[in-house]
Amino acid sequence: MANVSLKHIYKVYPNGAKAVNDFNMQIEDKEFIVFVGPSGCGKSTTLRMIAGLEEISAGELKIGDVVVNGMEPKDRDIAMVFQNYALYPHMTIYENIAFGLRMRKVPDVKRDKEGNPVPDKNGNEIPVMRKYNREELDRKVNEAAEILGITEYLKRKPKEMSGGQRQRVALGRAIVRQPKVMLLDEPLSNLDAKLRTQMRSEIVKLHNKLNTTFIYVTHDQVEAMTMGTRIVVMKDGYIQQIDTPKNLYMHPANKFVAGFIGTPQMNFFEGTLKKEGDIVRAEFAKSGAALRVPCALLQKVSPRYLGGDLPVCIGLRAEDISLEPEAVKNSGTTIKVRVSHLEELGTETLVYGDINLGYDGIGESDTKIIIKAAGFKDYKTGEIVEAALNFGAAHLFDCQTEESIMPQIPEYNYLDCSAENGTITFAGNKIKLPPAMECADGQGEMLIPVDAINFGGDIEAVAESCEDVNGKKLVLLNVNGNRLYALGDEKRTGSVKIGLDYKKLIVKTGGGQTDPMPLVNGLDGRFVSEKITENIDGKTKKVTRYYLEINGVKLEAPEAVYQKMFAATTGRKVYNSVYRYEWSPYDVALSDSGVEAQVVKVLDYGGEKFAQCSAGGATLYVKCEGAPQGTVHIAPDPSKVSVIERERNIKIV
Amino acid sequence: MSKQTGKLKIKPKKLFGAALTYLIILAVCFIFLFPILWLVLASFSKTGSIYSFKGFFPTAYSFDSFVKLFTDTEMYNYPRWFGNTLFISLMSSLIGTALTILTAYCMSRFRFKSRKAMMKTTLVLGMFPSFMTMTAVYILMTQFNLINQQWGLIMIYSAGAPMGYLTQKGFFDTISVSIDEAARIDGASNFKIFVKITLPLAAPMIVYTLLSSFVWPWSDFILPKLLLKNKDLYTVAVGLMSLDNTEFSRFAAGSVFIAIPIIVFYFALSKFLINGLSAGAVKQ
Repeated sequence: MANVSLKHIYKVYPNGAKAVNDFNMQIEDKEFIVFVGPSGCGKSTTLRMIAGLEEISAGELKIGDVVVNGMEPKDRDIAMVFQNYALYPHMTIYENIAFGLRMRKVPDVKRDKEGNPVPDKNGNEIPVMRKYNREELDRKVNEAAEILGITEYLKRKPKEMSGGQRQRVALGRAIVRQPKVMLLDEPLSNLDAKLRTQMRSEIVKLHNKLNTTFIYVTHDQVEAMTMGTRIVVMKDGYIQQIDTPKNLYMHPANKFVAGFIGTPQMNFFEGTLKKEGDIVRAEFAKSGAALRVPCALLQKVSPRYLGGDLPVCIGLRAEDISLEPEAVKNSGTTIKVRVSHLEELGTETLVYGDINLGYDGIGESDTKIIIKAAGFKDYKTGEIVEAALNFGAAHLFDCQTEESIMPQIPEYNYLDCSAENGTITFAGNKIKLPPAMECADGQGEMLIPVDAINFGGDIEAVAESCEDVNGKKLVLLNVNGNRLYALGDEKRTGSVKIGLDYKKLIVKTGGGQTDPMPLVNGLDGRFVSEKITENIDGKTKKVTRYYLEINGVKLEAPEAVYQKMFAATTGRKVYNSVYRYEWSPYDVALSDSGVEAQVVKVLDYGGEKFAQCSAGGATLYVKCEGAPQGTVHIAPDPSKVSVIERERNIKIV
Repeated sequence: MSKQTGKLKIKPKKLFGAALTYLIILAVCFIFLFPILWLVLASFSKTGSIYSFKGFFPTAYSFDSFVKLFTDTEMYNYPRWFGNTLFISLMSSLIGTALTILTAYCMSRFRFKSRKAMMKTTLVLGMFPSFMTMTAVYILMTQFNLINQQWGLIMIYSAGAPMGYLTQKGFFDTISVSIDEAARIDGASNFKIFVKITLPLAAPMIVYTLLSSFVWPWSDFILPKLLLKNKDLYTVAVGLMSLDNTEFSRFAAGSVFIAIPIIVFYFALSKFLINGLSAGAVKQ
């Protein structure tokens, strides 16, 4: 019963291969987390790092409130179920389950033969650690066996049991110790299909009964969808998306997640979108089909993709395409499909076809389509049918980056604006820009990141709707007929007042554009140590101090920082590597000593001022007061540093 | 294959093939077994000398040689030699097995620097015959005052045993690592995993190692001849070689008799040599 926190977890092999890349996740108590992905994506490695069977290259792993990076598996209070059961073959089932208890001791007080506590001289009980006694073992083993229904097999040996029963024993061995976290590494992949379905629901029931945090690894997306409260989709060592099953299905973050979740696989078509008034014209490449889609369905799509020139990837699930005559008649978005073959599944028929009518139907094509139709429908091969697309359920992705272009939380709000003399007009509001933002006069557009809108300014708006996304509230605002998304912590309705965080705005007018202020300052440096003699309580002692060295200036590293740097490197490598030290502009101050820098200019954002400085080729932003000029010294706060090792490109702190 | 009813018909071609196969088997058996048969017969010969044999086989048979082997101990103390050999072999076998198993386990389960280099070196060193190092061993043993000491021999045999760890390592490699990992998560230390999980599973391999490391000292001649000068410390092999020419039937009887402990040892341990002890551990 504990939460698990993974911060910047990396697994880098000696040959430089990265199995797990910057894994960040907060797992709450009692959650059922599923890691899913194709083989070799790093899911099992991550699980084994949590278990302590695999060393963590860099990052911080916490179980409960304790950092467990260097801890032995047995001290982490976790239990693990292996894919191949890993039972002890020479022991009976009883002994298999009891083994973990026999290896452990329980706190107790010193007792005499009758079991009465023996007090010490002062009458206090003497705490001792003792082994589990026979009755306790019996009780616990039987309890676990009862939960899993294997009580009658306790005297058998593993080889006398079937695969399903063996996996039950493996589960029993895990639950008998009542661990804080249960780790399951593809526990069902060795079972046959029927047993797998049955065990799946049993594991879910077990989770409800035990009320423990479960982390479950699988490559089977059906298992992931049916079991997890949250799912982590991984690929090539990177997390693709962490979300609830419903959100993964409804709002996949990229093309990989969209294709991975759901059977049959989502249909992807290349095409373009062009906004024409209230209608978006969706053209399908190689097919000639063009659909007229109401603009309201594509509200979150960034306008960049609505010009008709950038290719987009249109994803539609088989169940969002219909061949029913009724649906085709009522739908405004239909497309012609040449049927290539059918798969009869009883309750439904999967119709395979191609939207490129000239295609011969042999071999792979990027215009193929799978449609879920009602059961036992007679479609003929080669026949051309009309299919209704439910475009409201379409998922759109960038063709190059494969990222969703209509994410649940859009990145920017795009608004038309015009600038004149440092004053900007948009959505019926006139705003004087702070001196730091110099934009050319003229017409243009402005990009407002959703998190740059705060509630508490002087712009009038109406909150139209409020969506709950991962604990945050996404509010749809109406500002004089223009729609804006804003991110907040509380639910908002009715009329509100909003303000803008100018640091994050991008204004493109008159051919030029303003840049948002970077939120991280990066400086390259090294890590050094120094032995100094110190006078502590009248005795001279040799102490080693560790420093972050930037441009010849040493900043003393706090213990939390240098411990992590040592943990992530081997031997003397820590002194021979180049690091990138990063700070937020708020954690850097101008002071008398520190890294030398030249002030380029002072950015005045109204309430806040930042000095743009250059130090050894790097540009830094420092929060400042007044108007500093010339050469200054910058003192970053070493306790708030983020450290990135350049060679392996991993975030250490 | 063949019909349930009716006569079994064999084609002549097949018959010829089968006959040839059996002929070869018989010939090979004869080549293997004849020397043993001859030795057994010779041990029951009434006269001691090989020259009294009529042609190939003894003229008369009796138990005399065996009786003499254990009663006439003044000149040639066979029971004593037998005891010496048993002690040296048992000790070497026990210590040698322990060392071999530990070596094999380390090489199979732990990953450390120079592991591969060590594995290769040990393998190559193990290929050299033991008598190649005779001179060096003799000088070393004199230095440590281990000439005429049974423990000296035991040391050499035990230390040499782990050179052949490769079979044992191969066996440990077949025991799934996830069993070890499961035990580690269950709270067992490396030592506990070795004792409680790996050793019970490796029982057949341990028996095999015990047997094979017993046979070498039991039948070795060169090292005891080199290191044992005192007649009372002789092993059977050295002792039998010191027999007079006229004592051939006694030699044969002594040779036949030393086969007995190995046979007993084998049958006593053979029930552990069963396969499939680790069945049901993991799904293959």
